[in-house]
Order: sequence, then C-alpha cells, then structure tokens
Amino acid sequence: MKKVTVFFLVIALCLMMSVGCKKKDDTSSGATNTPIDITHWYWADNPDYSAKMQQIVKDFNENNDQNIKVTAQEYPWDGGGYSETLFTAAMGGGGPDTAAWKLTSTPLFKANNLLANLDGYINDWTDKEDIEENLYNVMRNASGTDNIYVMPWNTQVLYVYYRPSMFKAVNIAVPTTYDEFLEACRKLTRDTDKNGKTDVYGFGMRGAKGGQEPWGSFIYGRGGDFTNFSTPQAIAGMQDFINLYKNGYVPPTAPTDGFNEIIANFKSGKTAMTIHHIGSSSGMVEALGEDVDAFPFPKGTSQWTSMGDTENVIFEACDNKDAAFEWVAYLATGKGQEEWCKTTGNVPVSKRVQAMPEFQNNKFMKVSIQGAPSAGIFPILDTTTEWINTIWPNTTAAALAGQKTAEQAMADLQKGLYGS
Amino acid sequence: MKGRKNSFYRVLNLHIPLIILLIFLLFPFYWTFVTSIKPERELYGSVVTYWPRQTTFKAYKDLFFDYNFLKPMGNSLLVALLTTSLTLSVASLASYSFSRFRFRGRRAFMILFLTNNMFPTVLLLIPLYAIMRNLGILYTPTALVLSYTTFTIPFSVWLLNGYLSDLPLSLEEAAMVDGANRPQAFIRIILPVLIPCLIATGVYIFMTSWNEYTFAVMFTNEESRTIPVALKNLIGQLGVQWDLLTAGGIITIIPVCVMFFFAQRRLVEGLTAGAVKG
Repeated sequence: MKKVTVFFLVIALCLMMSVGCKKKDDTSSGATNTPIDITHWYWADNPDYSAKMQQIVKDFNENNDQNIKVTAQEYPWDGGGYSETLFTAAMGGGGPDTAAWKLTSTPLFKANNLLANLDGYINDWTDKEDIEENLYNVMRNASGTDNIYVMPWNTQVLYVYYRPSMFKAVNIAVPTTYDEFLEACRKLTRDTDKNGKTDVYGFGMRGAKGGQEPWGSFIYGRGGDFTNFSTPQAIAGMQDFINLYKNGYVPPTAPTDGFNEIIANFKSGKTAMTIHHIGSSSGMVEALGEDVDAFPFPKGTSQWTSMGDTENVIFEACDNKDAAFEWVAYLATGKGQEEWCKTTGNVPVSKRVQAMPEFQNNKFMKVSIQGAPSAGIFPILDTTTEWINTIWPNTTAAALAGQKTAEQAMADLQKGLYGS
Repeated sequence: MKGRKNSFYRVLNLHIPLIILLIFLLFPFYWTFVTSIKPERELYGSVVTYWPRQTTFKAYKDLFFDYNFLKPMGNSLLVALLTTSLTLSVASLASYSFSRFRFRGRRAFMILFLTNNMFPTVLLLIPLYAIMRNLGILYTPTALVLSYTTFTIPFSVWLLNGYLSDLPLSLEEAAMVDGANRPQAFIRIILPVLIPCLIATGVYIFMTSWNEYTFAVMFTNEESRTIPVALKNLIGQLGVQWDLLTAGGIITIIPVCVMFFFAQRRLVEGLTAGAVKG
C-alpha cells in the first residue's frame, strides 16, 4: 500500500513540475508574412469608448506596414482594481504586451521589473518632439528614476472656470499673474442685494478630499514645491489659501466642500471662479450657456496645475517590443490619438493633434492645452493615498478653522507624506 | 371583541414588521428595475422619480444588440452548469467515501478540505493563474470551472457528508444482500435518497459560479467573459452606465429566481437534512 502511495505521489510531483516548468510558447516571429501579435489591455468608461478603441485597433491593424496585429482586451476599471488585475496577470507570467495605464501604479510594477524601459525607443522616435518635454519629466518622476517606462496618451488638466458676466460687473480682466488672481478673488466677492451679507464669493475652494489638486497651484504660486512643504515659499502659499477663507472670499462651507459642492456653487452663481478640468465643461455650458469661460491657473513665482493622466506601457515580458512601441506610438501621436481624444474629450498629448481645429475651437480644450506645460502630479509614494484621503483634508480643515498656523499645517503635511 | 384585539396585535406585531422587512428587501430590486426602464433624461435628471414618467426598454435593447450581453450570459451558463455537474459528481463520491469507509488520513483529508476554504481567494490568484497559463487553458471556460471547483468541492463534500452520515448503513446493506454490488447500491439506493441534498448543494454551486467575479476577471478574456465581469465593465473611471447596468442586473437575477422557484421545496429539505441527528 505504501509503495503504491509513494508511486502516485512521485507521479503527481512529476506532473506538477512538468506543468510548472513548461516553457513559454515562443510566439515571436521574425517572418514578415507572419502577423506579429500584440495583446493590449485597456479599460473604457462606457460602451462608446469600447467601440472606439476597437475601431482604432482595426484601423491600426489594417494600415500598419509591419503586419502587426493588435488584439485589444477590455478589462473593468473596477475602482482601480484594473491595476491589480494587471499586476496579478503580469506576475503570473501571462500579462498583455501593452496596457492602458495610471501613473500611480508605476512604482509597484517597476519594483518588480515588469515594465520595459522606453528611453531607447523614445530617443530614436521621430515623433519625440511632438510631445511636451514636461510630460516626459512627469513620466520619469512617476518611476522614481531618470528613465521613462510610461508612454503618454491623454490627460485632463485643471484650470480656472470663471463667469465673464461677474468679471464685467466688477470691471476686472482675466488674471494673468498669481497676485492678480488673488486680487480677483477679493473683488469678485460681493453683496449684490445689499442686505449686508455676501452672496457671491470670489472663489469656490475645495477643502474636502481632492482639494489638494487646486491647493497645489497656490503652493507653486509662491515658489514652493512638493519636495518640501516646510519652505517659506510653500508656507506662504498655504497662508494665501488660509487667507482666502479667513477674509471670506470663499464660501463658509469650503472646508467640507467637495467636487459636487464646488460645481453646484459655481453653476448657481454663488462663486465666480472655481477649479476643475474639462470633464465638467459640458455641464457648465448646459447650466450657464455663454456665461462661462476658463483660463489657466496664472503664474506667480512658479506655476503648477494638477494633471489627470492615462498612459500606455509595454511589458518587459513582451516578445515584440518594437511592434508594441509602434502601437503605443500610434496611440500617442498617430491617428489613434486623434480618434480617442475626439471621442473622450480628453486633452491630447500630441502637439500636432492639439493644433487641430477640432481642439483649438473648443475654448476649454484650448485652455487645457495652454496649461499642459505646467501640469504635474503629486509625488507617488507609499504614503500618498492616505495623505490625499485623510491627512490633507484634516490638516487643511484645521488650518482654515484657525486651529493650526500655516507653518504648523505644512509641517504636518510634510510629516504625513515624507515621514519627517 | 377579544378576537378583534388579537387580530390588531397580530397586524401590529407580525404584519407591519413583515411589510417593513419586505420593503427593505425588495426595494433594491424595485429600484434596479425602475432605473432600467427610465429614459436617459429622467435617469440623470435632478428630480428623483419613483416611477418613470415615461418608460422605455431601450437599455434592454442596447444591452442585447449593441453590448452583446448574450455572449457573457452563455459563458456564465456554461461555466455554472459545468462547475455544478463536476462538483456534484466529485463531491457525492468523495462524501460517500468519507461517510462509509474508515481509512488512514480520512480525518486529515476532511480538515484539509476545510482549511482550503479558509484561504482568501486573492492569495490563490497568482499561483492559479500561472498553473492555468502553463496548462494552456487560460481564458477558456475550463480555467474558470477548475478554479471554482477548488472551493465548491470542499464545501459540497462537507455538506453532503453531513447528510450521508445520517443515512442508515442498512440501506445499502439490504441492497447488497439482494445482490447489488457497491456501485449499484450507491446509484440505485443512495443517489435517489440524496436528491434533495444534491439540489440544495447544486443551487449553492450554481449561484456561486454564476456570481463570482475575482477569478472570472483574471481567467477570462473578451471571448470568455462572464456576466459579473461584463457588468463591471459598465462601471468606468469617470462614469457609470446606470441604464445598462441595471438592465443587466435584472436579466442576471432572472435565471436564479426561476431556479429558486422550482427548487425551493427541495432546497429547504436539503439544507436542513443532516442538521438533526436521531
């Protein structure tokens, strides 16, 4: 009986080892008449976007002269679970060749050597200059190295929405400097019905979660940056932010105002300016018609605005990186870029596409493009998620309520993100 | 007078709480259905309507004609049926062995089966993914069926074992005295008695594989997507297709409801069987 058991155990072990060690099928092919298969993963926000992606893939497959055949597989966004699915597949050795991407995932994948270094490809790429240098820097920062692992695709740049009629009422022009912007916040704050109470506030401040993005523009406006929140410049930026609240230039509910509140306040005429991206432009136009316009957050000592991002990556395990690069390049600067951005309304990364009439004739798209050179992201660290979700809203609320000075608040923010 | 007072208390203590409980349970289904038949303008409008001013079945039409929902439905059905058949076959034989034979390692195997279910499924994802890939069955329904059986078989073995242990040995012994061998006794005597419990276990297995998402998103692609993944695709990063999502939700629960309707009586019998000794 024992012999039989041992026999079966050995057989089972051999089977498992043969399964575990089975060599990966060599799918690469140098023959020109054999299609080069590239599998691409992406997520789509709605069925129209899915159909558009499949159309882009079809066009690419029919028109590329290298016989590259892309198969696009849609995966659910799943509240960010998409990146986890991608990670599991890549770690299991079966991930795609290329995939749509979020910068926040870069450190994890980079640490596990899953991403292909694109430096060589981008340096030799004829369309390299078609993408703003600032975007490459953002890609480098996301990896925490001097290398680029992520190919830009499309962005959403934050800018300032304003009500031209209110600017006209107080006789001011669109601010071109940071100081003029602060002055505009003051002048636009009014008691229009003369009952002794403010009914229009200059600026719709977002103090709840997500408010760190417009807040970052104030920090840079005074010359600060995100590498150290404790510098005098960064503290001065925070003081400006606090002063807007203290002086009553923003609604009293600002510390708890989130996306819905700032948008509703702006649409209802309670605020004269607010900060968001092109995603809310159609709703603004629907509510306010012609009485809404936009300008990039103006430059002070320095300039920064927040960028929502979607990119593409090539995986290290991809057997045909040259072909994969052709595909992601088509999405970044080719016809794929045009088609995708026209359908989604996102900001193109290709300067050629940005210059097209469809994009230039859209005033919100135009302002997004103007803001792109100064657009960036927050440092991607292990602490970033908690800092954004909890530390920033709580600390800022305390600072706005006068429980913390600007200096104390910035010290807490520094500690929360960097640990010291 | 006393009777009227009693019926008043009955309404107060039984019927009203029951109605509240029913509303609590059924309202999400009602709301899902109402959302699925609202026109887009009303769906995303600022005024909440509890019954649509104008009903439309456009979402259902879009779901089947544009979104090709039949495909994930077919895949889900295939996977759920295969998982149920495979699990019931293996589990009924295994539980019969556990309940009728005393062999070395029996207890250890039973505990091993239980511990398997204690692992979070996400822990098994990467190893299972690698195994499926090397076996060449990744992105096929087989991959899903095999991965689902890793947790449905252990549970089913325990469930059926409880029922089989309650069945008197004399049932098969009588059959074997009459000339039947062990397999014949199992098929002709035990299996018919086991049917309520098999139905209860089968419903559990079917629903588990019908609704499962974590493995499904990993082991399927566009060709082999199942319903939960197809529905999750409708929840994007910046928006949700509420009309399609709710229409899909309604369509999804129909097979489960139909199954419950037919299996209800046997299900209760099966679930309570083996719970009481004596």
